[in-house]
Amino acid sequence: MTVWVTILASGIVTYVTRVLPLAITTSRTAPPQLRRYLDALPIAIIAALAGAGIAVPDAQPTGGAEVGAAVVALAVAAWRRNLLFAVIAAVAVVAVLRAASL
Amino acid sequence: MTPGRAAIVEGWPVFVTAVVVGIAFGLTARQSGLSIVETSATSVIVFAGASQFVMVDLLRTGAPPPLIVLTVLLLNARHFLMAAAIRPFVATAPLVRRLGLAYLLTDETFALAIGWFRRGHHDLTYYTVFGGVLWCCWNTGTLLGATFGAGIEDPQRYGIDFAITAVFVAIVAIGVRHRSDVAVALAAAVVAAALRLLGASAVAVVIAGALAPLAAFAIREQRK
Repeated sequence: MTVWVTILASGIVTYVTRVLPLAITTSRTAPPQLRRYLDALPIAIIAALAGAGIAVPDAQPTGGAEVGAAVVALAVAAWRRNLLFAVIAAVAVVAVLRAASL
Repeated sequence: MTPGRAAIVEGWPVFVTAVVVGIAFGLTARQSGLSIVETSATSVIVFAGASQFVMVDLLRTGAPPPLIVLTVLLLNARHFLMAAAIRPFVATAPLVRRLGLAYLLTDETFALAIGWFRRGHHDLTYYTVFGGVLWCCWNTGTLLGATFGAGIEDPQRYGIDFAITAVFVAIVAIGVRHRSDVAVALAAAVVAAALRLLGASAVAVVIAGALAPLAAFAIREQRK
């Protein structure tokens, strides 16, 4: 019972965080300052996700392998403009660096 | 390339990762004492990777439900910012469609869909196909892990767990266009990393994501 209450309530609060800005409509246009803020928001959130995932990949602070792999992902993505190449390179580098540190 | 096809072609590293991490979740949830039905229900109802791991871990340690739900809320508060950023691109869609898109909104869907919109596309097919396939992968993985999880090897050894973070890094690298973008991205990454290293994991991304856009104002003020 406790488990089901927790699952349902967690699902509801999660959905509320996702739906509120999308469900409410307004005909008013956002003021310019807010528009500038919203324009910068996507890069900020994605970069925050990246920074958090590099710093603490799996409940443990990074040993450096993730930092190296992130630099490789950054370089390959900037050079080739290709998501897939960057991800494959980063996964290969992180696997090698982790194995090397054992 | 049609939007649906582009979503599959660009998304497949994320899909593979979702299956693998889904299996890990299924396994973890079963080890924490959840039944197969409860485990799958969590992935269907909550559908938010990181917070699901935290949720079952807190259940295992006997934390009170209100505390667990509050933790999940803090962890997922970042979705509010993502939905706000997605909003201009979906504002003209009918309400039912928007309610569905909200259900499919995850870190990965947000990152890929924003990348698509920023390349000048206006269709919602890419978002819908990517989100739908990701949902299937996550739930299939969960069910596999919950049912057969015991014999599966640790994905960390192969670096697959890092694929999602690599996707975020690459999207930022491809997406930065102005000097102010670089400042915003650096500020967000550093603040989020610092908060997580300091133990504020639940709120690291939402705080960093909400504050970093202010760096764009600082850069532009300088120029004047």
